[in-house]
Amino acid sequence: MIDGLLLLARLFGGLGLLQTLGWTALACFCPPSAFFSRTERHALSLGLGALVLTLWMLILGLLQIPFQLWTVVAPPSAAALLALLRQKYRSNRQPQSGFINAENQAAKTDHPLFWLFFALLAVLFLYATLRAVLYPIWAWDALATWGFKAKAFYLERGLDFRRLSAHNYYPNLVPLLLTYLYLCLGQVNDHLVKLVFPLFGAALLTLVYRFLVRMELNRTRSLAVTAFFALNGVTFVVHLYIAYADLTLSYFTLGAAGLVYLWLTGRAPGGVMPLAATCFAGMTWCKFEGLPLAVTIVLAALLTLVWLRPPDLLSRILPLAWPLAGILLGYLPWRLFMDLHHIETGSDHILGFYSPKFFQAIPLVLMTLFHPKFFGLLWPAGLINAVWGGRAIFSSSRLFLVLFIGGNLLAILLGYAMAPTSAEEFPLYVKGTVDRLLLHLTPVVALLIGEALKDLPEGEKGKQGRLP
Amino acid sequence: MRTWKSLVYRLFVCLWIIQILWLAWHFAPEAADLGKRLINGTWGQTIRQEDPYFRWLDGLKGIIPPRASYVFLDHYEAGKEIEARYHLYPRRHTLLRPSTPPSFLYFALRRHQASYLLIRDPELPLPPDTRSALTSPAFVPVELPGPGLVFRVNYRLLHGDFYD
Repeated sequence: MIDGLLLLARLFGGLGLLQTLGWTALACFCPPSAFFSRTERHALSLGLGALVLTLWMLILGLLQIPFQLWTVVAPPSAAALLALLRQKYRSNRQPQSGFINAENQAAKTDHPLFWLFFALLAVLFLYATLRAVLYPIWAWDALATWGFKAKAFYLERGLDFRRLSAHNYYPNLVPLLLTYLYLCLGQVNDHLVKLVFPLFGAALLTLVYRFLVRMELNRTRSLAVTAFFALNGVTFVVHLYIAYADLTLSYFTLGAAGLVYLWLTGRAPGGVMPLAATCFAGMTWCKFEGLPLAVTIVLAALLTLVWLRPPDLLSRILPLAWPLAGILLGYLPWRLFMDLHHIETGSDHILGFYSPKFFQAIPLVLMTLFHPKFFGLLWPAGLINAVWGGRAIFSSSRLFLVLFIGGNLLAILLGYAMAPTSAEEFPLYVKGTVDRLLLHLTPVVALLIGEALKDLPEGEKGKQGRLP
Repeated sequence: MRTWKSLVYRLFVCLWIIQILWLAWHFAPEAADLGKRLINGTWGQTIRQEDPYFRWLDGLKGIIPPRASYVFLDHYEAGKEIEARYHLYPRRHTLLRPSTPPSFLYFALRRHQASYLLIRDPELPLPPDTRSALTSPAFVPVELPGPGLVFRVNYRLLHGDFYD
């Protein structure tokens, strides 16, 4: 009993430190004028903390310094402490600092539907959290790749690939995050560490909700769309507890695409692009698919700006260098490690382009998009809302969302056309992977739905920002 | 136009309510199992101990030294090999299909200096020459209760390229 409580205390201590590191990093990456609510800061801190800590562990691996709790924790904590002191010094000199003092100015709501949606999400997270922490790792990719690498890195006390053959070239944000939690626990406990996944899910939903509020949807509608995203099909729910890297990638993709979209529409806090850059870094350091996803966000933003031709086009395009810097930050250190340790990039994703597979994949992808089991009504609702937007899409920043989603659907089909599988195995290969690939995009679909929902008339009370 | 949009909106709300009810029905068996485990206190590693395959792997940890190598005969698609690799780490793992001819099996055992050969399912259709090869003095059966077969291997006795 006491051992169990001690383990929980170590786990919460580890997660708390992760959150604190992210909180501090957020203060470093955002200027004092940046205006973030407390909930936004909490949601962003988790990802940033994971990014900072795992990149530091990669540096330890590059320097061949063994993983010990103090080597992993002490230097980033010392840096965080210094950054906090500097931040405090700056905020003392600038008492109007928006970052430290700013609070959400959105109208509060007391509508019963708000609390109904909140209760639905609370039930979902109660189930997902218990399902995560009570059951050991069992899902395929968790056993074969993510959890396996985490266990190996913990037992070897470093990024040692000599006895490992588990897609060694895959990026390692998730395995190293789990390794860090094993170090905190002092043992391989592959059920307790899964608590980090529902936390990432909660942070993702918080970002969906907060981005929708920033898009000037009222609080009840924002939470309704958030609940609509979470409670549609089994894919998101299952990823809250199976210990795959796809939920984490979805979180970083939402952070990157959402912040860039808010920046395009002028609703983002000032100086947000350095923060968006960290989400881009998280995408590329999280999963192999993160790099092309990140590039499509930059391309979609660039095309939107060129299409809309704002008067200050060049000065609007220049900040897109930040996401590119973020992509390099997430990609280059791991690339360097791979080159130094002669880890070859596998060819198990890409082979030659084979057009029949492209056409064969179309019905399979469409089936996953529209089958109620996978994503429920989310994609049909997204499609209808895109159609509702009509021509207006081409004259607004909403074009970015459509380009990102449409471009990635096309990229998924092209990716399948290059998949190295036999004709016989191809349908199984698509069925086994497509829901995960689509999950990366679905939080952005929720933003598109939220945009379209603003066009719907509100009731008398709704006009006061209280009813859906 | 607005009425049409409102109608679609209401239709989606109704369908979403049905979707939430379906989700509740879909996850009900797992939620019931979770509730039972909470009440009985049977979570974490206890769940694994309920699986005979895990108990077999757990027993193998006491037989195969942590720095030794083994060859695992199974189909990857069965999804059982990844469990063995996960639980038996840091023991070095090599997967071969059951249809592997003895010459390649011998080659792999020598190349990886494997001290153990594991066959996940004795019912797997091994080629007859592989079955007879396993009776050679290089393979010593190890008694371990469980679903699979275990052989201690003296790879130094194996010389490839004679069985083709």
